[in-house]
Amino acid sequence: MSSSEDSNIGSLRKALAGAGPQGAPDPWEAAIRKVAQHQDRAEFKKLFDHYAPMIKSFLCKGISSYADRSLAEEMTQEVMLKVWNKADSFNPTKASVNTWIFTIARNTRIDFIRRNGRAGRTIDIEDIWHEADSPEPVVELQQRRVETMIRNAMATLPEEQALVLEKAFMENKSHNDIAEELALPLGTVKSRIRLALSKLQILIDR
Amino acid sequence: MISYHPDSRYLTDFATANLPLAEAVCVSAHLEFCGKCRAHVQQLTDVGGHMLARLQPEAVSEDSFAALMARVSAGAQEQFPVTVAAQVPQEDVEEAAQSHVFLPRAVRRLVSGSLDKLRWVQLGKALRVAPLQVSDESRETAIYDIRAGGRMPEHEHRGEEITVLLQGSFSDADGSYSCGDFVVRHAGEAHQPTATMDKDCICLVCLERPVRPRGLFYRLLEPLVNYRLQRMNRSVA
Repeated sequence: MSSSEDSNIGSLRKALAGAGPQGAPDPWEAAIRKVAQHQDRAEFKKLFDHYAPMIKSFLCKGISSYADRSLAEEMTQEVMLKVWNKADSFNPTKASVNTWIFTIARNTRIDFIRRNGRAGRTIDIEDIWHEADSPEPVVELQQRRVETMIRNAMATLPEEQALVLEKAFMENKSHNDIAEELALPLGTVKSRIRLALSKLQILIDR
Repeated sequence: MISYHPDSRYLTDFATANLPLAEAVCVSAHLEFCGKCRAHVQQLTDVGGHMLARLQPEAVSEDSFAALMARVSAGAQEQFPVTVAAQVPQEDVEEAAQSHVFLPRAVRRLVSGSLDKLRWVQLGKALRVAPLQVSDESRETAIYDIRAGGRMPEHEHRGEEITVLLQGSFSDADGSYSCGDFVVRHAGEAHQPTATMDKDCICLVCLERPVRPRGLFYRLLEPLVNYRLQRMNRSVA
């Protein structure tokens, strides 16, 4: 194990000391479980009221070029329909509810973009962006801890780093897109994102 | 032991689904071999989840929930179906399992379950190539099979090339690469990979533009190669 990974885990432990062994409890996990087990519509309504406006906000940012609010509304419904249909596949040891819903919204968005393209389909989005079949439990455990870290560290990011993260994750822009938009060299965008990620204790070697 | 990984740009653009499809296939394939990169992608996805939850909410229309539940009651599946193309038949999956080459899910799908069913183009004694259709017009994607001990023609890249090793290993002047490695070559870099002696080396390769063979013989061959690949593509499509 490299020294950077050692220090990563060290700071994770420090973060954990304040957060308890499981980090902060996620209030939405139980709601998803009730939807999965009992098709509980009252719980699903609570999930909808909480998440649908965020999902719509995310989709509006991501498809701003289409500038069509009713389209974002329609896609939001698709995302929530998937939440209802896939609730039993939600695994709280792998991801938080926020993360899980982000992946569904992200995949729905990219699926939509591809549907609008002319190219024929030889592969599905979920063949590429899937959870690998053989995850390592140790890695999973660390991953949940890192999430607590992200929550705490995100607020302390300098403006220019928060901006590039926002563009990458919420506005659905690639490194190249961001470089073009901000008129920065690609290397500068890459290093800002790397710097921001390292403050969130996501330490990627290169 | 995996030594070569996608850098932070590939992993971030993958986690945000902003990577060209052919490159995303390569990253996805690497992730199935590499727990470390998989963990990084999980962390990056958590950043997405965290940011999503802190967006300024955008009100949905008042009847949206009722409309959704009406669709649920009517047994609606997603309007944007997750699965459109036919599933890989079970016998193909079993065949792939028997062939002893582990194929990541995205690759398994692209080759319809088995490498044997691909339309291979033999290029010299040591190399055969099978083009894959990834619906990504900016790149060419293919499976390369370098015979054990075989040497590819020396070639130079006009664009970026990503290679993910699915079986065996190869080496070139810059290093040696083994199963699961994610190797990036940039435009202008020339190399001559040689497969190790013990087994055939099978790679997933994604090219920004076709590679240009350096030797005179291959330069003469190039139009032929391109022609053959194009004809292949047409007959596949």
